[in-house]
Amino acid sequence: MPHYSSQSDDELLFRLRNGDEQAFATLYRRRQGAIYRFAVHMSGSAEVAEDITQEVFLALLREDCGFDPERGTLSGYLFGIARKLVLRGLERGRTDVPLESDSDDAAPRQLAVNDDPLAGLTQREAIEALRRAVQALPRRYREVVVLCDLEEVDYADAAVALGCPIGTVRSRMHRARALLLEKLNQDRKPRVAVDAWKPMRYAI
Amino acid sequence: MNCHEFWDDLPQKGGDISTAQAAHLAECAACAAQWTPQRALAAGLRSMGEEWRKVEAPPRVEAGLTAAFRAQAGLAARRRLRRAWWTPVFGWAAATAGTIALATVLIHGYQPAPVKPRTVASPRHTVQSPVEMAVLDADSDDDTSALGEGFVRLPNAPRIEPNEDYNVVRVEVPGSAMIDAGISLGEDRAAETVLADVALGPDGTPRAVRLVPDGGTN
Repeated sequence: MPHYSSQSDDELLFRLRNGDEQAFATLYRRRQGAIYRFAVHMSGSAEVAEDITQEVFLALLREDCGFDPERGTLSGYLFGIARKLVLRGLERGRTDVPLESDSDDAAPRQLAVNDDPLAGLTQREAIEALRRAVQALPRRYREVVVLCDLEEVDYADAAVALGCPIGTVRSRMHRARALLLEKLNQDRKPRVAVDAWKPMRYAI
Repeated sequence: MNCHEFWDDLPQKGGDISTAQAAHLAECAACAAQWTPQRALAAGLRSMGEEWRKVEAPPRVEAGLTAAFRAQAGLAARRRLRRAWWTPVFGWAAATAGTIALATVLIHGYQPAPVKPRTVASPRHTVQSPVEMAVLDADSDDDTSALGEGFVRLPNAPRIEPNEDYNVVRVEVPGSAMIDAGISLGEDRAAETVLADVALGPDGTPRAVRLVPDGGTN
């Protein structure tokens, strides 16, 4: 009896191709969470993410799925399929995330100078603020943040998933973090303004 | 280390910066100003990632995929079954035929030398195959009904019964020996060497002999 949990993705893939249901279940449980979360972050919809997750693993069941271990890991390959499905969904308009312009905001704006952009927030508030900031990123930056920061995919796998060189992943990460800081600082200013108005509203 | 190298060499998953990077921060106010919020952001993103790690696809996704997997595995099994019902039969038949052929060749090729009859010389060929025996049996005559046509029982030799095992050996013998055995051979060929089939009994002794009509081609 093989110890499925200790087997590599490639070994599990080989087994499932030979009809081993336990291998398929193990591989699915190992990888579904990251794929589903990536799809949620990218589409903004749990329903869409559910469909994408299903499609990703159905693609894996096909003999001609196109996975080549020489070109990258199975994880990177699965993220790549999920990304394509997300993009297809975006093209069809099936998403809860507004279709922002992917322009690179040619002139770099002044970077935030606050020591801690999340200071003064509770853990839950900080995470919610970050989630909104990530969600507001242009798609090309959002996907690198989700992959590399939230899912801790290494740059090489991310490059496979995104179909670009590692250097591009690095530069997008750098830019994405700058945009996140900017967004968080913008959000902090209205918060202060709202807080300032509260006593007056309560007084009325 | 310049500013570009500092930001490019940052560890992807947090962790401490290198000594060279720390030295750069100490001398570059711009990078130092950016580094503090970047570090806070990275920590926040890690926290967010940990929080989100609890989120997974609903169980119904796995249920649907498992059903799809079973259906596909079942179809594949049926495809294999449809394709294969005659394949093993053919395969085993081919393998059996090949084995028999190989065994036949080996038996003939590595057969031990037959017992050399005292009355013959220079054995050249042993006939033992069932096919040849069947041919010999079909040509049986009265005295040596179990043998082929033309066999003459040697003097004082017991006859080969129909249910008795025997071997036939093709040998070269002097014509005079064939004449002595009662085979009609012209006196002018008494000094020649002729080809003869000798039937050996189960004990290896010669029982009957015949002249190979066409001189033998084996």
